[in-house]
Amino acid sequence: MKIQFTVNGQNVLLDVNPKRRLLDILRDELQLIGTKEGCGKGECGACTVFMDGRRVNSCLVPALQLPKSKIWTIEGVEALPIFQEIAEIFVNQGAVQCGFCFPGVVMSALAYLQEEHNYSTKDRIAHGMAGNICRCTGYTKILEVVQVLETHKKLRIGIEEIFKR
Amino acid sequence: MTDRIDIISPVNLAQLDHILEKLRKPATYVAGATDIMVQKSRWEQAGTLIDLRTVQELVSTLEIGPEGILIGAALSFTDIIRYRIIQEKFPILVESCRQIGSVQIQNRATLGGNIANASPAGDTLPVLAVLNAELWIGPRLKDNFTKMSVDEIMTGPGKNCLQPNQYIAYIYLPFPEPTDPFWYFRKVGQRYSMAISKLSLAVLGWKHNNHIREIRICAGSVSPRIKRAVLTEKLLSNQELNSKVIEKAATQLMKEIKPITDIRSTHNYRKSTAGRLLQESLSTWARAGK
Ligand SMILES: Cc1cc2nc3c(=O)[nH]c(=O)nc-3n(C[C@H](O)[C@H](O)[C@H](O)COP(=O)(O)OP(=O)(O)OC[C@H]3O[C@@H](n4cnc5c(N)ncnc54)[C@H](O)[C@@H]3O)c2cc1C
Ligand code: FES
Ligand code: FES
Repeated sequence: MKIQFTVNGQNVLLDVNPKRRLLDILRDELQLIGTKEGCGKGECGACTVFMDGRRVNSCLVPALQLPKSKIWTIEGVEALPIFQEIAEIFVNQGAVQCGFCFPGVVMSALAYLQEEHNYSTKDRIAHGMAGNICRCTGYTKILEVVQVLETHKKLRIGIEEIFKR
Repeated sequence: MTDRIDIISPVNLAQLDHILEKLRKPATYVAGATDIMVQKSRWEQAGTLIDLRTVQELVSTLEIGPEGILIGAALSFTDIIRYRIIQEKFPILVESCRQIGSVQIQNRATLGGNIANASPAGDTLPVLAVLNAELWIGPRLKDNFTKMSVDEIMTGPGKNCLQPNQYIAYIYLPFPEPTDPFWYFRKVGQRYSMAISKLSLAVLGWKHNNHIREIRICAGSVSPRIKRAVLTEKLLSNQELNSKVIEKAATQLMKEIKPITDIRSTHNYRKSTAGRLLQESLSTWARAGK
């Protein structure tokens, strides 16, 4: 099946099996290996990307639903000027250890900031980040990172940019 | 997977119905794909896939009449959660959608998929049952959808009564009348939000002069099918809510539901939990006084 869509703002044209997972297309066809596979069944969030402005598990998106969609991966976010700042916050809060969950957690956290317009309670953040599992740091650190991220106005504006494209 | 795979992506209902009329082989519907891609062998075997997310009416149409609302079956949970009229009129539905999986799952998964998948643990099913939801099934015959209720469509765990060419087009929800009801939805799972329900309880009720005018109760994950607890409902109607009545209702509910024992939970645990949740909901209602 021939499909056309965009990844990180670039046009992509591929001939793929319609049942192929977006995760495999990103990693194997496009060599975008920042997106990770943990569980392969929607539970861990390591494969989180944005699809048409919303975070999704790329292990549960079949190629047949990709035509005309807009995908953003961690590589697209990494290329943004605001990324350095985001990464520093994670490191300073001790929210990265082995780093396996990191790309998914970053994508999910950024999506969360875009979904919620006000400062939120820990409970609400826990609910919003429940789709991302981290075996190393536990949840508290990640929740703290999101709380810090929420206070950075500049970040929020930078993030809005990606969701528009 | 070497066999040819046919992909059908109809743009609207008319085209979908037209294709189904001519289709001679069994097809598999794909909506948010959050169930079907996890069901590995079914997914691999499917030779013809029909993408419901490309059908304009099924993803964008929310027709609102004076009496109720029609929700497109392939609308994502996130779309439902964010829809203002649904927030106003059906907070119980919003709450059950918010408790599904994770935001990543809610962004893709659909109400139609939750119903068609027919898992007794489907979180929206008890809620749709207490809302008296009506399912509109296509393809249309002489311009008319076939109508059925949630307990009619489910014939057992993972089984629905749809013919291979039939699909859920809309979910019709009548606006609760005449006043806003008391509502309650709780799910008791293994882990915050990611667990498939071990047990859930949905309650919708109206009072008149301190007495229960009407109450609808449905527990999820307790039986192979989704059924309202009609005997418990009957016991409560026209009663004044006090601790004795609440106690009696909880006992009746525990008698009425026939939970199965599976890896997620035991029979007795489910029964006592259902009773406890009902007590919690009715006590809240008694205090709230609506
Ligand atoms: C990690 C994870 C967590 C989950 N957590 C929960 C949870 O907490 N609660 C819960 O209830 N569920 C949960 N689920 C299950 C799933 O997300 C829901 O059942 C969801 O509503 C399915 O919708 P879908 O659109 O993704 O279905 P799909 O996978 O697209 O379809 C499911 C089935 O229904 C059929 N189908 C879909 N739409 C229609 C239609 N309109 N007409 C006829 N047939 C149709 C398909 O052919 C398929 O057999 C979870 C799933 C995952 C992967
Ligand atoms: S790999 Fe997709 S959610 Fe775990
Ligand atoms: S840092 Fe190792 S899984 Fe999160």
